[in-house]
Amino acid sequence: MSYLFRKLAQTNPKNRIHDAQIFVISCRKLSIVPSLYDGEQDPAPKFFSSNVQVMLKRLTRPDYNKVFRKRTNQGLTILKTPSYKFLTNEELEVELANAKKKAEKLLQMPPVVKIQKHIDDVLSKDPALIGYDTAKYLFTDITFGVANEHRFIIERDPDGILRSCDHDVRKRLNQTYFPMNGRKLREPLMFTDQEKLYSLLDREKYEFVLDRACVQYEPDEPSYQKITSITYQHIDTLSKYELLRSTRHFGPLVFYLTWHQSIDNLILELLQNSAVRDAVLLTALRQDLHGDVVNGESLPSLVHQVLATPIQLTKPECLTEEDIQLDSKCLKCIEKYIKTNSSMKSQQELALQGFRENYKQLIELSRGLQKAHGKA
Amino acid sequence: MATKILTLGNILSRPINFLLKQNNVNSNLKTNFSTTTVACVNFFNKLPAEKLWKSVTSVSNAGAKKGRGKGAGRIRIRDLNRGQVIGVGKVNILWPGLSAPVIRGRELLRQQRLPEDPERLEKLIKIRDSMIKFRRLKLSPIERGWSGSKLPGRSIGPPDKIGEDEFTGFDTKVLQLRALLIMKGSLGRTRNYQAMVVTGNGQGLAGFGFGKAKEAPAALRKAKNRAGQKLMHFEIYNGHTINHDFYTAFGKTKIFVQKKNEGYGLVCHRAIKEICQAIGIKDLRAKVEGSNNLQHLVKAFFIGLLQQKTHQQLAEEKKLHLVEYKSENAYFPKVIASPSEVRTKEQIPKDETLDFTQYVMNDKVILKKKKFPRFYESMPHYKIFLRKYEKYRNHEKIRLNLKVEYGEVKSFLTDKYPEKNEQEA
Repeated sequence: MSYLFRKLAQTNPKNRIHDAQIFVISCRKLSIVPSLYDGEQDPAPKFFSSNVQVMLKRLTRPDYNKVFRKRTNQGLTILKTPSYKFLTNEELEVELANAKKKAEKLLQMPPVVKIQKHIDDVLSKDPALIGYDTAKYLFTDITFGVANEHRFIIERDPDGILRSCDHDVRKRLNQTYFPMNGRKLREPLMFTDQEKLYSLLDREKYEFVLDRACVQYEPDEPSYQKITSITYQHIDTLSKYELLRSTRHFGPLVFYLTWHQSIDNLILELLQNSAVRDAVLLTALRQDLHGDVVNGESLPSLVHQVLATPIQLTKPECLTEEDIQLDSKCLKCIEKYIKTNSSMKSQQELALQGFRENYKQLIELSRGLQKAHGKA
Repeated sequence: MATKILTLGNILSRPINFLLKQNNVNSNLKTNFSTTTVACVNFFNKLPAEKLWKSVTSVSNAGAKKGRGKGAGRIRIRDLNRGQVIGVGKVNILWPGLSAPVIRGRELLRQQRLPEDPERLEKLIKIRDSMIKFRRLKLSPIERGWSGSKLPGRSIGPPDKIGEDEFTGFDTKVLQLRALLIMKGSLGRTRNYQAMVVTGNGQGLAGFGFGKAKEAPAALRKAKNRAGQKLMHFEIYNGHTINHDFYTAFGKTKIFVQKKNEGYGLVCHRAIKEICQAIGIKDLRAKVEGSNNLQHLVKAFFIGLLQQKTHQQLAEEKKLHLVEYKSENAYFPKVIASPSEVRTKEQIPKDETLDFTQYVMNDKVILKKKKFPRFYESMPHYKIFLRKYEKYRNHEKIRLNLKVEYGEVKSFLTDKYPEKNEQEA
């Protein structure tokens, strides 16, 4: 039988193509199962709480060179000649403060909220109107200045029921009357076609996918949460966190991973890049969201100390005594975390060991330097 | 001139005809046969071709000095025998033993008339014309200079190596090649050639040189080697442009040079463009005012480049931070140079120029000419055009969007009314 089939495949070229396609599809990694924020608990209050926001922003590690990098979507068809200014110290500080404000705006995180509920709100039933027409009637209040989510949009069904519209119809009508720049009435192919989405992810165009999803969808839409979830998991499995750092999507990524109890890979990456302080912040975030970290009571004070220090974009070359004290505290904390809470113990311990050895050398070097300068 | 040549050609080919005709006449009039020679005495059969041609093409000594008999209108000597074969003529006759073998196979060939070849004369004329057409030296577009095969703007290779040291990666461009005429007591007016070239490796190293000689190639060689000896190093900002705008002058030549963004290109005088390419500058704008003297221009530009300051120097001079703003980086203030000590606002005098461009241009301002509306914009047809095409202004975008959504230009109505499509097809 199998021989027969093979022969058939050989003789019929169409069949052969079909076989090949099946093979390609089976090769694709379609194993990611999106997990949405659809449980009992609402993530919004946690996400918007001030200490979580601060920690997420800190974990984003904003590097201004990347935040203000050249983008292809700025609408600049040609480059412009740069301008130069002579500035005093005070003027420079003002300028930098302005730039910081601009950066905060660029780094504003897309909100993480619970998935939307269906609107099933019957306003009136008029049996007298049954069969008045074959089509639905939609009524939209297009008063200027009303927010899209509060706009009055209702439908009259042919069976005489007057009801509020569901989210998909609301979105369509809102987009028709008050079009949002960049949003399409139809979902773009890259989101509807699984194949295309995965090809983008395989090419590591994570930021593009997330940015476009932000424009196309509302944060409480199931499709948005599905796409972001797939993207985050893709990043997590490949440990490509660096691609999202200094962008507005890193906070939601960390929140997603913490919420779904899968931060071990991220902690491993942090330890390998000797960012112990960030690892402590991450454990504190977990403590905030789930409260299952051992000796979590001591974490807030440590987090406070860490937040007081400036952001380390690169590995430090010289250490002060306070740095050493803080780092040793962080080390102890992480050690405890790995022993009790981690599911990737051996790898993380190995990474920690590597970090410790490097750190020892660094301590010796910086102490030697200070001695040589006659300061200690 | 052309008609002259044609008539000459006719006359030259005529005697043969005369002879032929005479022969025919003689054969017909058998009764009046005489052996007296016909005295056809004109200079065509008295003088050799060489002398005849000389009489047409020669130019007097005084005329030659003025440049007569040169260039496009010049008469050239043509070899009228070219393309002609003995035994083959206007009347196509087979002459056994002359234009054909006597015996072909086992057959004895006889003199006979063949059908006429209509293209024979055309071919002959074509061959003759090919001898007189003035042909310019053809160069490939890559090798061409500023103006065809003229030397200015052309590349003449790297300078000759000195001992063991080779000029690898260098290329030399000719900027100027001209004849200098000098009167001498014994020799009269003599010619000297002067060349100005620029050589560089495209990575910041460049120099220019002059050369004088009796012959052009020698002048070029001298200039090239001298340029190789006078190399200067220039800093290239971010590998594509100059450090800052500057004003420079030499003699009556003034140049305003502006730093430009990546991808702007070289918008300047052709000589400045060649210099920039030799140095490795890719983006810049230069406006020349005053005299266009090429040597002054080159000197002024090199002086200007050399007098540039580094950003650190500028910051130190001003005792202020130098900050760069780029539109593509959302105008993020990037500090590119900081002085050792910074002045406060109170320490800066009121009348000091703080504007960067004004400071580096030495308070010179480039004249910006007013841009007038284009000539057709005030005409009525332009208004009609605008009104007419207003409704089409978004069609291109819509078409693109339809292609994205449906894969072709169609709308939601196409499925509903398929007959419309069929009609069109």
